Amino acid sequence: MKSKKLISTLLLSTLVIGLASCGGGDDPDDGGDGSVFDKFDGNLEVGATIKVVENDTAIKMGYLDELLDAFNEAYAEYNITAVDANQGEFADLPNSGPYGYGPDVIYQANDVLMGWVQDRHVTPLPVEKIEAYQSGVIPSAAQAAYQAEVGGVNYTFGVPLNIQSPLLYYRKDLLPADWETTWDDDQNGVPDMVENLVDLYEFSKIYHEQDNTKYGFEFSLNDFYFSSGYLFSYGAYLFGDNNRDDTDIGLHAGDARYGVQVLRQFAAEMSAACIDDSAKLAISGSMASGKYFSSVTTPDVRSVIVSTLATTYQSEKGLTLEEATALAEENVIGVPFPDLPANGDLINPSDEMIECKQMGGINGYAMSSYTKYPNASLAFINFATSYEMAKLREEFLQIAPARSDVSAESTELSKQLFDRVSNGSIVLMPSIKAIDQVWTPAGSFMGDVAADSNRGANAKYDTLDKIQAALEQLSQDIYDAIHLLDR
Amino acid sequence: MKTMTLNRSSTKAMNYKVKKVLGAVAIYCVLIIVCAIFLFPCLWLILSSFSATGSLYDTPGFFPESYSFDAFIKLFTDTANHNYPQWLANTLVIAIFNCIFSTLLIIGTAYVISYFQFKARKGLMKSALVLSMFPSFMGMTVIYILMTQFNIVNNIWGLVLIYSCTAPLGYLVQKGFFDTIPQSIYEAAKIDGATNARIFTTITLPLAKPIIVYTALTSFTWPWSDFILPKLLLIEKDNWTVAVGLMQLGQDEFARFAAGSVFIAVPIVVLYFFLVKYMVNGMTSGAVKG
Repeated sequence: MKSKKLISTLLLSTLVIGLASCGGGDDPDDGGDGSVFDKFDGNLEVGATIKVVENDTAIKMGYLDELLDAFNEAYAEYNITAVDANQGEFADLPNSGPYGYGPDVIYQANDVLMGWVQDRHVTPLPVEKIEAYQSGVIPSAAQAAYQAEVGGVNYTFGVPLNIQSPLLYYRKDLLPADWETTWDDDQNGVPDMVENLVDLYEFSKIYHEQDNTKYGFEFSLNDFYFSSGYLFSYGAYLFGDNNRDDTDIGLHAGDARYGVQVLRQFAAEMSAACIDDSAKLAISGSMASGKYFSSVTTPDVRSVIVSTLATTYQSEKGLTLEEATALAEENVIGVPFPDLPANGDLINPSDEMIECKQMGGINGYAMSSYTKYPNASLAFINFATSYEMAKLREEFLQIAPARSDVSAESTELSKQLFDRVSNGSIVLMPSIKAIDQVWTPAGSFMGDVAADSNRGANAKYDTLDKIQAALEQLSQDIYDAIHLLDR
Repeated sequence: MKTMTLNRSSTKAMNYKVKKVLGAVAIYCVLIIVCAIFLFPCLWLILSSFSATGSLYDTPGFFPESYSFDAFIKLFTDTANHNYPQWLANTLVIAIFNCIFSTLLIIGTAYVISYFQFKARKGLMKSALVLSMFPSFMGMTVIYILMTQFNIVNNIWGLVLIYSCTAPLGYLVQKGFFDTIPQSIYEAAKIDGATNARIFTTITLPLAKPIIVYTALTSFTWPWSDFILPKLLLIEKDNWTVAVGLMQLGQDEFARFAAGSVFIAVPIVVLYFFLVKYMVNGMTSGAVKG
């Protein structure tokens, strides 16, 4: 009896201690209007240490060190220090933040940052205290990427800094020697095959005929970030109401079927690597060896292609590393996606061409809801998104700025990307959580389309009607996935 | 008649020899195939670590087309995002301290359970046996929450604490070893007036050398290759262990991943070669109750 009492007491104590231990964790702010901005009272938290999550490339290229040094010097009188959060660019704010181990400030793409809004892991920002917003240098499309309605109130959750979008990369040194006379009809100094998809299609056939192990254009069609632009160009959209209404899925809208047809036709001139991630993962080696004349990828991958090509040049041409790298830098060119035939047919193309849209994102800074230093963090965000730092960032990383004043002084490609965001040719990734339900079904569908060109009589998407039906089913599947628990 | 019998027996002997040789050939063939199956992934990993292109997807077949030391050089020089030397140092610190603390605790637990007879002994043994049957990742969430309360998340000493504290649950092999030491030795020592501490230090420990080496080695290798717990508890990159850090490398950096994997295997392989004698002694002595 005595021992039973003792065991009961012990168990009860364990339970109480255990429950008491589980009570911790910081709560994010309540998000209600009024109180949410009270913490931004302008009083800098003296002695604060702000943990900043940055892009891996920015760390590698030394930009983060420059930024932190400049900020720490500017705020030395307040004894405020910004440091690398040292958690990798994909810091797990939802899991580490509530326990006090998360970063204070995060640089990420809009879809990632805004995906955390619903669970209130990032805090709304007072735009009237942010220089980038007040000076009117951020295009409205980029601003919208960081806005969301919470509790009936529209808030801004981040400050745009860069535009990210996939590009078509090609090898200049693999162009035909006489391209200026044979592949530049408009004599604008840009090869026709990287200006429009019809010529790229023709060139790919020739390139493959010369050596059947090589392909003029190859990319992973199953990556919907890369392939969605072809559908958008003909009228498709992801979500209605400017990508905010997840009850309206529009991948079958307009003439989206033309975009699928174009990709299906081109897939016949690609290798099987276009069906899955193989082409994407092999891009650096394949472009360096000349297996691919051109491909689609994001700008951060360019440096990998350049370094692999430099290694190839070193062994093939006997160059030094510096010479080889300089040559590779010169020969790997990135351009926006080539124009498309208005009738969506590469085999019998119309004369009229339309601009090819592409999906993109806006990278920027946001603040953790769990930060203990909101004013110091806001000061850091203001500092990091200022004209001077945005310009320095562009110089270090060659990434398209989202500020109009920096873009105006930037490279031609950066200006093109800025313009494409402003005029809607770059369709920004939706800033709602429902986007998570799009990538897998849409990617699988596009992979199936890529495989379809080799199915012969068993083809599933060989007519526009079949493609339309499949797109409608895809939209329905995505809708069902998003709203499965609503029923 | 005699010749016939001789012929018959010599034929039998021949058949037996042929059968024996064929059997040996068959066994060796099977062993060679099994070895090849087990060695091939290692060979592939080692050769991939010397790949000049670096990406797994650039190789046309199984093996790289060109070779270089770049991946190994990068491993130790390109530390801006992937600080391999730091990860290696962290792993080493965790493994060494876990090796020390765990060995002390396991040997102590096993000796006490084996040598002393006390009231809760059976109950403790049964509880330990049952608890050790649960997979360690079952308690991950609880461990994470408790560690946050003690404020030792993102701290390599937190890992040492967990590894060391849970280690005594695996005392059974060591207890088996201590059970083989004859009681008469202890009794003789007691008659000579030795205390329990003296018996343990001057009699048990010298006899238990193989099992101590075995325990130390297994305690060292466990955190060396563990992934789940460090991934859960170590948040900042500079605190990561090699297993966690290597997982963060991009898919186009496979050569670097392979180089890191090959390099981290070296200390373990060297240790095994030096201590394999003790390992075998420890395992066999502990496994068979005398």
